[in-house]
Amino acid sequence: MNRYFYIDTEGKQKGTFSPDELGQEQIKKETLVWTQGMEQWKRADEVEELARLFTGDAAFGVREQVPSYGQAQQIGYNTATAAPQMPRSWMVESILVTILPFMFCSSFFSLLGIIAIVYAAQVESFFNRGDYAAAAEASRAAGKWTRIAMWIAIGWVLLIIITIILLFVFVGSMAGLGELLNS
Amino acid sequence: MVKKIVKRGIVTLLLLLLPVVLFLFYSFDPATDPFFPLCPFRMATGLECPGCGSQRAIHSLLHFDLGSALNYNLLMVLALPYILLGVWLEWLGGGQHYPQLPRIFFGKWSALVVLLFVLSFWIGRNIF
Repeated sequence: MNRYFYIDTEGKQKGTFSPDELGQEQIKKETLVWTQGMEQWKRADEVEELARLFTGDAAFGVREQVPSYGQAQQIGYNTATAAPQMPRSWMVESILVTILPFMFCSSFFSLLGIIAIVYAAQVESFFNRGDYAAAAEASRAAGKWTRIAMWIAIGWVLLIIITIILLFVFVGSMAGLGELLNS
Repeated sequence: MVKKIVKRGIVTLLLLLLPVVLFLFYSFDPATDPFFPLCPFRMATGLECPGCGSQRAIHSLLHFDLGSALNYNLLMVLALPYILLGVWLEWLGGGQHYPQLPRIFFGKWSALVVLLFVLSFWIGRNIF
């Protein structure tokens, strides 16, 4: 029996679950699922092994699953009725966290930004291809790497400023000491 | 809720840092004053990275000396308008008014162009 991942109503990936366990989760016919061997995410009712969850067969312990139109629209995944919206691509942010470190001589941090850019580009690619779950996943990864790069950069700049201030205090106190000794 | 507070905190922190950084770059010349950070890549290899000279370029720009800024780091002077464009599009509402602009300047292919441009600048400045 395969173990499945699925995308919940908030766009988060959950897993893994056996088909029976999936029945206990709040999945609907249009919930996107994935398991090993599948090329991309599919609607749950399109997967042979899971289709029986939606036949209302009590033997599987499935509560009545009424696909709610409003919820499906809210998620924006591939329901035929709702035009999905492209998830946030993070492209502007990831380019900024790639370019800006160069200014503070921390070019090695730009590598993190480049990882973010790659994911950000994937968001657009997957979305144009109609693979909305993968686009959401890429968007999440792009956001994560952008945030990592940003916090490291902020920490680095703070570190530099603190160092400069400490240097000033040190030099200042040395000068004061010198004056004291001379007088 | 927590996310919003964190976000607001980051923005405040950046807005507070900006004048401090600008003041430091205005009043001290990275070309002569010793306490500015040095490029690890340059220390390790002796070659210039794409960002080398950008602190000197910022200092020159703050003193309205465009010529020497271009001389210190051409890439950074060209990147500044692009960075400001990105900030405007993403956070100051420019993207809502002109939705086609982010697609042109911050799409998949523009990212590739930016990376290739940085890479060729990197190689070029070390050869010529």
